[in-house]
Amino acid sequence: MPETASPKVVSDQDALREALEAGNAALVRIAPILSHLLSTPDHSLFSDEIVARIRGMCQHLAWQVLRAQAEAAGQAGREAFAERHGAALAEHFFGSPALLAHCHALAIEWQLTEKLEVRYGIDPVLSPLVQELLADQDSSLASAAMASLTAQARFAQSQRRMELPLSELPGDLFHDLLMGWRAYAGQVRSDAMIRAEAKLREAFDEGATRISLMARVVTAMGSDGLRALDIDRAGTALFVSALAIRSGQSRVDAILSTNHRQTARLSLGLRAAGLDSTDIERQVLRLDPQANPPRGMAGFTVEEARRLLTETPISGTE
Amino acid sequence: MATVGTRYLAHARTDGEGRLTEADELLAQLQVACGGAVGTRVAIPELLALVEKAQRYGLRLARQFEAVDGEHRITAWVEIAPLTDEAGEVDGCTIDVVSWQSEDLPPENDIAAARRRIEINRHLADCTARLDSNQRLLSVETEAPDLADFAEKALANVGKPWTDFVDLPGNAHQQPLHWRLLDGARCEIDGSQRGWTAHLEPLGQPQPGSAGFVLYLSADRPLAIADEGAAADTSEGPSFGRDLTPVLRQPINRIIANAETIRTKLAGPLADEYSSYAADIATAAQHLLALIDDLSDLEVVESEDFTTAPDRIELADVARRACGILGVRAREKGITLVAPPEGESQLAIAEFRRVLQILLNLVANAIRYSPEESQVWIRLDRIGSRALITVADQGHGLDEQQQERVFEKFERLGRSGDGGSGLGLYISRRIARAMDGDLTVESAPGQGARFTLSVPAADDLRQKPR
Repeated sequence: MPETASPKVVSDQDALREALEAGNAALVRIAPILSHLLSTPDHSLFSDEIVARIRGMCQHLAWQVLRAQAEAAGQAGREAFAERHGAALAEHFFGSPALLAHCHALAIEWQLTEKLEVRYGIDPVLSPLVQELLADQDSSLASAAMASLTAQARFAQSQRRMELPLSELPGDLFHDLLMGWRAYAGQVRSDAMIRAEAKLREAFDEGATRISLMARVVTAMGSDGLRALDIDRAGTALFVSALAIRSGQSRVDAILSTNHRQTARLSLGLRAAGLDSTDIERQVLRLDPQANPPRGMAGFTVEEARRLLTETPISGTE
Repeated sequence: MATVGTRYLAHARTDGEGRLTEADELLAQLQVACGGAVGTRVAIPELLALVEKAQRYGLRLARQFEAVDGEHRITAWVEIAPLTDEAGEVDGCTIDVVSWQSEDLPPENDIAAARRRIEINRHLADCTARLDSNQRLLSVETEAPDLADFAEKALANVGKPWTDFVDLPGNAHQQPLHWRLLDGARCEIDGSQRGWTAHLEPLGQPQPGSAGFVLYLSADRPLAIADEGAAADTSEGPSFGRDLTPVLRQPINRIIANAETIRTKLAGPLADEYSSYAADIATAAQHLLALIDDLSDLEVVESEDFTTAPDRIELADVARRACGILGVRAREKGITLVAPPEGESQLAIAEFRRVLQILLNLVANAIRYSPEESQVWIRLDRIGSRALITVADQGHGLDEQQQERVFEKFERLGRSGDGGSGLGLYISRRIARAMDGDLTVESAPGQGARFTLSVPAADDLRQKPR
């Protein structure tokens, strides 16, 4: 029967065509990525290290979720279960822009922290300002500072391992991640999954996350929070938290603005946070000695700077 | 939270609908300043978003929120924990305030303030009109029913100045004045009970107003409330609940406080009888206070779903309590109150406070309308399953027509100036019927009147069942 192809041949053809299209899609992406990498003299936002860190954090998140699932199912080989599905679930997480942006920002933050330690000898965990706050008269501020110190130590440790504990995610991302996990698992959710999810949600406490504790310290400092905008004294973590809160940006945006091609955003952010032009210049040069701080920052009021920032948001981040 | 030793500044709870069910002062005040109250939905916008998020996710969240209470910008750090009910469903949240910073609002710059004012006028205006550069009407638009006449008249007179159609009290100048002088002017409009404020938004550049104006008329209160007020005005004068309760509460509270001072002889030694008079004053005033609440709830009593909280009560107790409260007033007129004799008993199913309220009303009426040196009897009785309490006086009595009208609202039977409101019997009968009872009158001219309250009877549990 030469005229009509058998159903099997048709399905083979379809499969091949699909594979071909998938392959093409990947090839199409080569050009923009290559041209971007080649035209960007600075790879600090996309260095191999950053990419590896993001991958590491996503995989760690996937493993933790799967381990919780295996635990709820009572499976013996928990590690093996996580091993089997880890890569695929992590890949699923790669599809979440918000999660990627968060991990990316954490990687950049940690890189900056290490850079400042090498360059100026700023302790990644215990900065002079944190030290001061530990002895603050306001006992609630002091205890928040103490908790943030512990959290920062945990952060340093996990970043060195390229990990990200589930319990450190902001609430929205945590929720997103669990929804992503559900989507990955498909329509039917097993009892074990439901139990695991309930347990994870129950155990989650946003108030104990490092980012939340940093924000709480900044909030508790009140008008005194301006002191956290000196990166030498505050350290990277507290600095970016203060910058984000006081300028009305997300912490992700605040971290990205420390990149040396983002001097305009950084300057505006610092202005919106309440620094005067001399201090802004000092901070900008501190982060990048070769930077050319924008002129005329003194001409902007805090409100104008804030408005300019909100009118030109970084797309793709929250 | 396990990691931080925290001293909470305030605590609050919300229910599943996002209503603030309880709140410490700090949050309660902010809630009120934002236009809510304890019991209504969280009115603090950022906090509401957080509460809803925590509830939806079923996650404990810790975040900062900002709010403005009118004078201050408040920055607070809160921890929000969802609560789960027995079924495992999230049902409300707890809110714990960890830190609270309040700073004065920066002065608003004039341009922003003007822009905001225009926005507010735009949103609140019940009527907008387009005027030409000489403030003459081009078009009028309104959805407010009380401005319908005004709009009709104005539309029939397009081309005349808008000031021809409103009254500008205290402004006798030749109209229209320069728009800046009229902007924000108070005015009155025929056909509307409400007070109005006119705002003029100039159009055109460079000379503001060269392309005409938009006229916004904003009322001083929403129409719904205005309507209620108008209805109350025609039928019963100032509304008791809304207007008089706050005014009365204060002096009565002072009476109680002073009477208590005298009773307890705090201000110095005093004869015992005066002290006991003071106790009567305090008791009476306290009851008056409760009555004010009841009267201010007149609408509640009148509503179909008004209910009482029935209980087993001893009618003899109620009668004696009423005689005690009104004894002084009766003695002043030389009237003897004859309470049920000691040992007489009649149990009933009714609400004590409500029966006392009815009885006080009946006895007070009896005292008020009886001749001096007469007697007022309070008798207990039982007919079948009904427990009866009767107040009988030796007054002029009522003819049949009067008996029919006496329970009507505001019925004074032609009397005035004796302190009655015409509401007492009306409310009493309403309450009696709400308790599955009734209030009736028997009388004949010159023979006194007998008001009988009947409520469901209860059997004495101490007696052996028959």
